[in-house]
Amino acid sequence: MISLRGVTLIYPNGTRALDGIDLEIAKGSFVFLVGHSGTGKSSLLRLLYREQLPSSGAVVVDSIRVDKLKRSKVPALRRNVGVVFQDFKLLGEKTVWENVAFALQVTGARTRDVMRQVPRVLDLVGLAHKSRVFPSELSGGEQQRAAIARALVNNPKILLCDEPSGNLDPVNTNEIMDLLHRINLKGTTVVIATHNALVVDRMRRRVIRLEHGKILADEERGFYHVTTTEPGANDDAGVATRVNNGLGQSPLFSE
Amino acid sequence: MDWGKVRFFLSEVRNNFTRNIVMQLTAIGTVTIMIVLLGTFLFTQETVGKIGGDMVRQIEISVFMSDKATPADSRALMLALRADPQVKTVVYIPKSEGLQQMRERLRGQIDTTLLTTNPLPDALRVRIATPETVHAVAARIAKMPNVANVEYQRDAVERLLRLTDVMGKIGLGFIILLVLTAAIIISNTIRLTVYARRREIAIMQLVGASSTYIRLPFICEGFIDGFLGAVLALILLAIGRWQLWPKLLSALPFIPLHDAGIDLGIFALQLLGVGAAVGIIASWISVGRYLRT
Repeated sequence: MISLRGVTLIYPNGTRALDGIDLEIAKGSFVFLVGHSGTGKSSLLRLLYREQLPSSGAVVVDSIRVDKLKRSKVPALRRNVGVVFQDFKLLGEKTVWENVAFALQVTGARTRDVMRQVPRVLDLVGLAHKSRVFPSELSGGEQQRAAIARALVNNPKILLCDEPSGNLDPVNTNEIMDLLHRINLKGTTVVIATHNALVVDRMRRRVIRLEHGKILADEERGFYHVTTTEPGANDDAGVATRVNNGLGQSPLFSE
Repeated sequence: MDWGKVRFFLSEVRNNFTRNIVMQLTAIGTVTIMIVLLGTFLFTQETVGKIGGDMVRQIEISVFMSDKATPADSRALMLALRADPQVKTVVYIPKSEGLQQMRERLRGQIDTTLLTTNPLPDALRVRIATPETVHAVAARIAKMPNVANVEYQRDAVERLLRLTDVMGKIGLGFIILLVLTAAIIISNTIRLTVYARRREIAIMQLVGASSTYIRLPFICEGFIDGFLGAVLALILLAIGRWQLWPKLLSALPFIPLHDAGIDLGIFALQLLGVGAAVGIIASWISVGRYLRT
């Protein structure tokens, strides 16, 4: 579904955001991209919806060479890739319903489809009862649900989340993660960039760790911190210990 | 027809338009001023051009035949000139008729009975098709056989031609300046709207709206600015045409002003078109520049 080959991204100021990335993400998978701020997580996601072009290398999303995509074909790609951000990016003067419908309307969708799709996704994210409310009247978690609903309303095959829980408390974070998990179970490929160790360690899914623009580790059922090879470290008791220890290092609790 | 889509689109345009109403009014006002000046200028130029044209059309080249020329020579020259595409009319005036005309012209001024002999040669009066060619045609005729002399109001023609030319050039520069001003102000207005809506644009781009779809509400906004400005200008111009112009005509009876030949309906449509086109082009450039960066 997603494939990066020898991808390097150098910003005009000379920063090497990504350095020779090789990566395959299968259809329907649920993947965490972890690493400190500035390690290239967001840059990598931006390559996938062509907000950014690589300096070299090939980016393939859903069999499309994104790095060679003509400008006029970008909208078609973006309808297949939903994106969610830390700051939600909802439009303040539109209601939840209008925000979600907006994503369909501006792609020229028929009113009939808008009337059918918007309630469906609002129901999926659990915001059906707040459809007439403005974003400012919602909690952070609810705002992120609305943003997810908007990202999903076009039925994308891929959902990219850039620090989706960055502005959320632990309870809301867990709810959002459960929602993303449910979305994944329906077949959508989900890629989450995060530095929330708790989330990663709780979900136990594939973890790709970036550092200085390179892939440092890539593990199935991984943890936020690089797995040790000590005996017993990865059994349930060991994980529980490490998750508890990890609380102190989690940005949620340390900041 | 999907009325929901239409309604959504119109609400987008309305959102654009009401986002900064003061700036919209500025843009509309600028277009109004531009179109009023443009309309006045074109109308004046057309009228003056008509007067100039009338005067130029009255300019004749008098061709005097040499003494040796027979009436047959004169007729032959007349026929030759009539075949010339740059010549409109040729009238042959035999010396006897020329004397007659001179007597009539001078009657009461001098004692015409004193003209006992005929001092006049045979003559041809030539009117030409386009005033700009008068020098060339006159020079050409002067070289023809049996022609003694060629006379025409060289200075008057030259001055008139120069005046029309200068007026045309000044007018063109003036019009370009006006159109540029209006375009810049509309483009600034649109840029402000684009700026005010940058979050919406970012989201449209994120969810895969085509660039045409993103552009369209802004283009409509520019069109409305240009069109409304032109409509206001036409109202002002109509007041001028039907209230002030007749007063001007009666105040200046000695100047042969008239606006015959200008189709006011087509003229109004052209001005509307200019207003709308300036609005559309200015907003197109403005949004295009934003979307590319």
